[in-house]
Amino acid sequence: MASFGSFTLLATFVVAAYALTSSVVGARRRSTALIASGIGAFYLTAGLLTVASGVIVRAFVVGDFTIKYVQHYSDSVQPLAYRIASYWGGLDGSILFWVFLLSVFGSVAVWVNRERHRELIPWVVAVIAATEMFFIFIMAVHNNPFDPFLTTVPAEGRGLNPLLQNFYMAIHPPSLYTGFVAMTIPYAFGIAALVTGHLDDSWLRAVRRWTMIGWLFLTFGLTLGMLWAYEELGWGGFWAWDPVENAGLLPWFTATAFLHSVMVQERRGMLRVWNVTLVIVTFFLTIFGTFMTRSGVVQSVHAFGEDHWLAGVFSVFMVVIIVFSFGLVLYRLPLLKSRHELDSWMSREAAFLANNWILLFSAFFVLFATMFPTLAEAVSGRRLTVGPPFFNKWMLPIGLILLLLTGIAPLLAWRKTTLSNLLTLFIWPVSAAIVTGAAVYGLGIRVWVSGLCFAFCAFVFVTILQEFVRGAAVRKGATGTDVVTAMIGLVGRSRRRYGGYIVHVGIVLMFLGFAGQGYKQEAQLLLKPGQQSTVGAFTIRHDALTVTSDQQKQMITGHATISRGGAVIGRMDPAKWFFVRHENEPTSEVAIRRAPGEDLYIVLAGYEVETQTATYAVTINPLVDWIWFGFGVLAIGTFIALLPESAFAFAAARLPAGAVTTSLLLLLILLPSVGRAQDAGMSVAPVQSSDAKRKLEGELMCMCGGCRAPMNNCPMAPGCHGLRAQEPKIDAMLAAGSTPEVVKAAFVKEYGEAVLLEPPDTGFNKLAWLFPYAVGAAGATAIGLVAWRWSHAPADPAAPSAAAIGAAGGDPTLEEKLDDELRDLD
Amino acid sequence: MSSKALKIAATCVVLLAALGGLMYTTLADGTEYYMHVDEVMTNPVKWEGKRLQLHGYVNDLRQRPNTLDYRFQVQNNGKVITASYSGVVPDTFKNGSEVVLKGQLHGEGFQVEPNGVLAKCPSRYNPNNAGPVGAGS
Repeated sequence: MASFGSFTLLATFVVAAYALTSSVVGARRRSTALIASGIGAFYLTAGLLTVASGVIVRAFVVGDFTIKYVQHYSDSVQPLAYRIASYWGGLDGSILFWVFLLSVFGSVAVWVNRERHRELIPWVVAVIAATEMFFIFIMAVHNNPFDPFLTTVPAEGRGLNPLLQNFYMAIHPPSLYTGFVAMTIPYAFGIAALVTGHLDDSWLRAVRRWTMIGWLFLTFGLTLGMLWAYEELGWGGFWAWDPVENAGLLPWFTATAFLHSVMVQERRGMLRVWNVTLVIVTFFLTIFGTFMTRSGVVQSVHAFGEDHWLAGVFSVFMVVIIVFSFGLVLYRLPLLKSRHELDSWMSREAAFLANNWILLFSAFFVLFATMFPTLAEAVSGRRLTVGPPFFNKWMLPIGLILLLLTGIAPLLAWRKTTLSNLLTLFIWPVSAAIVTGAAVYGLGIRVWVSGLCFAFCAFVFVTILQEFVRGAAVRKGATGTDVVTAMIGLVGRSRRRYGGYIVHVGIVLMFLGFAGQGYKQEAQLLLKPGQQSTVGAFTIRHDALTVTSDQQKQMITGHATISRGGAVIGRMDPAKWFFVRHENEPTSEVAIRRAPGEDLYIVLAGYEVETQTATYAVTINPLVDWIWFGFGVLAIGTFIALLPESAFAFAAARLPAGAVTTSLLLLLILLPSVGRAQDAGMSVAPVQSSDAKRKLEGELMCMCGGCRAPMNNCPMAPGCHGLRAQEPKIDAMLAAGSTPEVVKAAFVKEYGEAVLLEPPDTGFNKLAWLFPYAVGAAGATAIGLVAWRWSHAPADPAAPSAAAIGAAGGDPTLEEKLDDELRDLD
Repeated sequence: MSSKALKIAATCVVLLAALGGLMYTTLADGTEYYMHVDEVMTNPVKWEGKRLQLHGYVNDLRQRPNTLDYRFQVQNNGKVITASYSGVVPDTFKNGSEVVLKGQLHGEGFQVEPNGVLAKCPSRYNPNNAGPVGAGS
């Protein structure tokens, strides 16, 4: 079967080459027969790749270990689902899977658009076929998933990496690939439009839908990746700015930017070059992401193994894409002229422009920071890395600005917004933000990023709510129905607009989850059976440690009883699993107690079977579940925006109700204990005494005179006289209720500053931390001022002053604007 | 050149300069040197107190009983640094495993910062990528 698989790949390459040639020649000679045969060959590649996929899946299912790839990524005891998932578990198979998806997507796109965009189709076929050929070439020459063992065939496979034997991991890569692959379709249409010169806005309509689908899958894939990291990796978080994660995020930024700016082109005929560029860049970034994660060009703890051949081939391909695509854009520049100019900076198109710039900057920044180690090594020969703090320092403010724009943009009108309109529209959202901010402060959350994020979330949410209410009121007035019917009709009438708003609600919910990370609590507990310790509002008692096994793995499980406020609320059993043949890579089976307010997250971090001692790494993750729930809402919104005309006419009355029910169900699944939400732990955790001591021992030097090491690192421990003198003092002071700061101060008094490992955090350090933000704010203000000046530069004598606008009543214009928008948005 | 083009160019220059400057200032305190043990040990004094990511292989791993305090040696190409760490270690952290440690070098050894132990994850792309296993155990 292996040679049959290899043969199929080669055949596909030939057929794809034929599809490419006959489409291009057919298009140039205007030969319908040649074009039709090219399309036929294109469909055939999808058929052949389906056969190839069938061969590899069959090999996995029956356990054909004569194929190297199968032997590497599966074994005979693996459950069937994971054996199938092993298809995309490794590099070679993931490339095959990629091309397979591309051929299927391409065929569907060509089939759907064969009549509507007849003139574009041959070029679409050519572009996709060329991309297919590139990936098949890699497989055929270098990474053939059908490579057999030439000499001895192992009797058993090595098994899929245990970390990947997880439900989310089985569906996360396909989802991400689907998103990546779907981005090839808009690119193919974009190139076809550039080549043929059919650059009116019709190609955008073909492209918009595919971008939306790709965007949905990309978002889904990223969310699943977070969920997988959260549930499987056991470090209590979900995003670490790893190059592999960033690779998925890059095209997401540009695709999001495109989905917004495409509206500006549809409405106002502006940003044409910009939109084509975004489509090209998005596709480029999907290829770049693949390159980055597969070729080992970026140093990552995930160690993808360096592969210079692959890096070289990908580089050539990427250069070709850039030169060819942007060459075409330059060639067609005269046809891409904007129909309008920006009227005012207080307009929706300006807000979209700002959103685009920020999203593009985000992509650029993440790309830069991810590639920084590689760049730095190339330039200076030194390996410098940047960690998550650097990413966070930039992406937190950027995320907050984007969130704010999400709220502001819908309030602005196209072309120009008058000040009085603005005041009426902003009053409720801004009040909501202020009230929320004050409430959060009152509840005792002193993390300013989180507080700001909560306030912005309230702002955006009220904006969207206001849009729905206003729209429903207008429609109610026009049709004379009740509010609910009016709202359903509203969504049915402009699905993209209101679907988009629902997507924004989903984003707001996800931001709630991100904000919760600002005040999560972590503790490490070393407990003997019967001992207990308190983290946040939860008391964790270690009961026992058990060792069990099944045919696939050995399991070490810690059993803990959780209580809260004196009452037992449940048991949690975090475990470590040692898979057969992967004994050196145990997996942490995290125990999670989910609640809307906060998750209790326990990992069995260490254990001693003889003494039954367990080390629990406990994390309290506030609001984290809102990320997953937010994605559900986002998906519903995207579906509404994607629904075709006819489907909606049929289901108009029913679907929104169904959507609401679905989201409520999702909510119920995620919220096992709703009542807990109110008293969710806003309190700051009392510092664990053992924890505090350990921390202090890391911060205070051992003063024995010889070691110059922190107390927890004294080479003479435990018999050191210095430690023997210092430790009881710490114990006594902590027992007396002193905070670590007090203990440190006392030590400084007794031993002098030398006892401190690090110099105290002076005011200057804090200032240095604040500096970038101050510069950023000043820069933004300056740019804003300059922009404002320019937009007012051609001193228009007719332009009314701000006071005059304020004096004029805005309501009739408002109604008019709404009506106008409702009429022709879709 | 038209005044519009000039304006656009000026905006771009201002934006790029502002962002570039901002990036430069924040980058300075966000970077860590990524070094192998033997590279550091050619001139250890130079690296003292700098933020490092130290790459090497674990050896002679010891844990103080009933605590989460670890002392171990990291080695690479025959050079050794003593390191200490308090906290939870990854599952794959044991003698012979390849690690990247975040922290600082002090006179008496390498102090790993909290959550600063990264054991090289077994990648799904290269399961056979065993890597050179350090001597010992």
